[in-house]
Amino acid sequence: MAIDPRTEASLSDDVLELFVEGADWESVVDAVEDETITINMGPQHPSTHGVLRLVLDLDGETVTRLTPIVGYLHTGIEKNAEVRTWVQGTTFFTRMDYLAPLFNETAFCLGVEKLLDIEVPERAQAVRVILMEFNRIASHLVWLATGGMELGSTTMMVFGFREREHVLDLFESQSGLRMNHAYIRPGGLAQDVTEDFVDRCEALLELLPRKIAEYEDLLKRNPIWNDRLRGIGPLDAETATRYGVTGPLLRAAGVPFDLRKAQPYSGYEQYEFDVPTETAADSYARFLLRIEEMRQSMRIIRQALDTLPGGPVMVADKHIAWPSQQSLGVDGIGNDPEYIRHIMGESMEALINHFKLTTQGFTVPAGQVYLPVESPRGELGYAITSTGTNKPYRVHVREPSFVNLQAADIMARGQMVADVVVVVASLDPVMGGVDR
Amino acid sequence: MGLESKLPNGILLTNVERFVNYSRSTSLWPATFGLACCAIEMMTTGGPRHDMARFGMEVFRASPRQADLMIVAGRVSNKMAPVLRRIYDQMSDPKWVLSMGVCATSGGMFNNYALVQGVDHVVPVDMYVPGCPPRPEMLLDGILKLREKISQETFAEQGARA
Amino acid sequence: MTEFSVPTRTHGLTRTALPLDGLAARITDRFPEVEATEAYGELTLHVAPEHLVEVLTFCRDDEELDMALLSDLSGVHWPAGDHIIERQASTTGWPEYRVSREQGMIEVLYILRSLTRNHWFRVSVATPDDAPQLPSVTEVFTTANFHEREVFDFFGVEFAGHPDLTRILMPDDWIGHPHRKDYPLGGVDIPYKNDKFIPPPDERDIREVID
Repeated sequence: MAIDPRTEASLSDDVLELFVEGADWESVVDAVEDETITINMGPQHPSTHGVLRLVLDLDGETVTRLTPIVGYLHTGIEKNAEVRTWVQGTTFFTRMDYLAPLFNETAFCLGVEKLLDIEVPERAQAVRVILMEFNRIASHLVWLATGGMELGSTTMMVFGFREREHVLDLFESQSGLRMNHAYIRPGGLAQDVTEDFVDRCEALLELLPRKIAEYEDLLKRNPIWNDRLRGIGPLDAETATRYGVTGPLLRAAGVPFDLRKAQPYSGYEQYEFDVPTETAADSYARFLLRIEEMRQSMRIIRQALDTLPGGPVMVADKHIAWPSQQSLGVDGIGNDPEYIRHIMGESMEALINHFKLTTQGFTVPAGQVYLPVESPRGELGYAITSTGTNKPYRVHVREPSFVNLQAADIMARGQMVADVVVVVASLDPVMGGVDR
Repeated sequence: MGLESKLPNGILLTNVERFVNYSRSTSLWPATFGLACCAIEMMTTGGPRHDMARFGMEVFRASPRQADLMIVAGRVSNKMAPVLRRIYDQMSDPKWVLSMGVCATSGGMFNNYALVQGVDHVVPVDMYVPGCPPRPEMLLDGILKLREKISQETFAEQGARA
Repeated sequence: MTEFSVPTRTHGLTRTALPLDGLAARITDRFPEVEATEAYGELTLHVAPEHLVEVLTFCRDDEELDMALLSDLSGVHWPAGDHIIERQASTTGWPEYRVSREQGMIEVLYILRSLTRNHWFRVSVATPDDAPQLPSVTEVFTTANFHEREVFDFFGVEFAGHPDLTRILMPDDWIGHPHRKDYPLGGVDIPYKNDKFIPPPDERDIREVID
């Protein structure tokens, strides 16, 4: 006997049953309230740029809301810096944004130097600029590599890391470490650059333009890359400003704001370079923008190398300058024998000064400063409060990734789940900076 | 899980052990657990210059169920520790853990409220690789030593671990 | 798909910033109770909590000021009584630094920036640290959302009117506000001889400090 399901009693009273015959799917389903599915992406996920947890509210495949949940990498660096001296602070802050450590160091040291009211030697300023711009190139290469890998282009991953190795070789030859170098200290640099520094930089400047052109060729006309990036993650200028977004995202929306031009630091005013902007404000525009930024960085490095002045790399004030005199001597460890002879044999005051500087550190006058620099992700600012002691009283780091993540919600609305990966990739968040 | 549970007790199978250990050690598939700076060095180790693929390890499995080796690369905060344990539990036997960098080994330079001071408080660790961050060559050294350790394991030890 | 735009190269925003006393005057004319100080080439406006939203809205909407970007929102804790910064004075012989005040305050700093006029200044608001409360500025600047959550998480400041004031960087069930000066640094006591067993995190006393 035929049972007409529309007239039979339903199985239970609180289960909603819909009877659809095929052509009337749209009208029946639309009459019911939409249910959104909430799914969780991360914190352990191959495509979320570190330990970022995203809670997506989905209507089918379309994202209606994206909530980033952060804090999985919180390290308490800001509080830990309050019990360490000013120079040791460099070692801590350099590990926040670990893809651009020299920017962290420079911003902190510039803030300390502002409080100390000292002038860093010109050679140190020029070397800082050169290393920072190379770090910008390295950071954008990692962005290209990981972004490419997340979208499926493993070739880009291999290429990006291959080039980054060359830049890291340069950093290793100067500071001793590939990453998280505590090379930029308050007052200048930890030690002078090596004799072959200019030659190494020249070699890199010859290699990189060809390779960057190669990456552009690989990706720019690629139909998959275009389809996945064009029109995804739109963020116009007004929304970006409201959300506090700075850096390549703001410039891709047409606002030519770059702290190297607006508030020059460390000698940037003497170099001629352009600030690339785009108007499309989508992920493809940000991709083009970052490639162009790498080219402008090479332009700055070229000028800085050509005009590299001689002279000391640390301030002359013996009460602040880091007493690191190193040369390769008989003991192989690196302590300069002349310097050791001086402090051990000749001058008691020099020994006491060396001891005090390396253990207690120097004191910084009381006050509050805020010093922003243009990191590869945006405005990286250090709000330093000092009370006149040898330790920072409070340092707050304004990290661009932390602020830019708020815009992820508005950028991803109305897009598909697969586009969430593209949105997060084009934001370029570094979770060490977000969580500090 | 694993071959050990299928064997009756008390039987010594040296050649089978050697063969199984050979196949386990030479194709360790790592689970992606990159957290911080060490994760970048881990990715570099998979890159072209220090090639992990020559040791059979370039396939980073996103799903923990398909992975053998969890390289904990980076600092583990107190908020992340339950997630770490859950991923470790989801891995199927046999599994090994390599703690990369000083932050994972012992809390590193961050001796404070926010970090777990050593990931061995959360998961059992087989190999510790110090460094901040360790050079890719150091990580490869740690991986090779771990391979030696695995190739000399007996079934009884692996069964006891599970 | 065939048009490829090359990013236009501009010279960036380099307009000279307005002099600081001109900026300060523009605000103190409108809000006489705001106090303006200058140090290290930076302008700081000290505002009372009840005028905060009004002052920030004025800064954002005024044509001369045009502070469209809230760069940073951070907190500093100035505890009541004597706060000793150097705690190792007895062993090192270093001078003991003390910071003393009667009423403990939490100072919240807002860094405002103008993109078109190329100037910036800092707004400083203070609230007592035993029950810190401030009005939220998320209506004025949407970017304050995450920042205020962070200040709440680390200092305990309650922002009235915030859409979702929950912990952001610490675990959700954490007790205490870590960046306050009365919160210990935490971590484990590290003896230099291997004679002490360090228990796992859930069995440790949270008050074990380094020194």
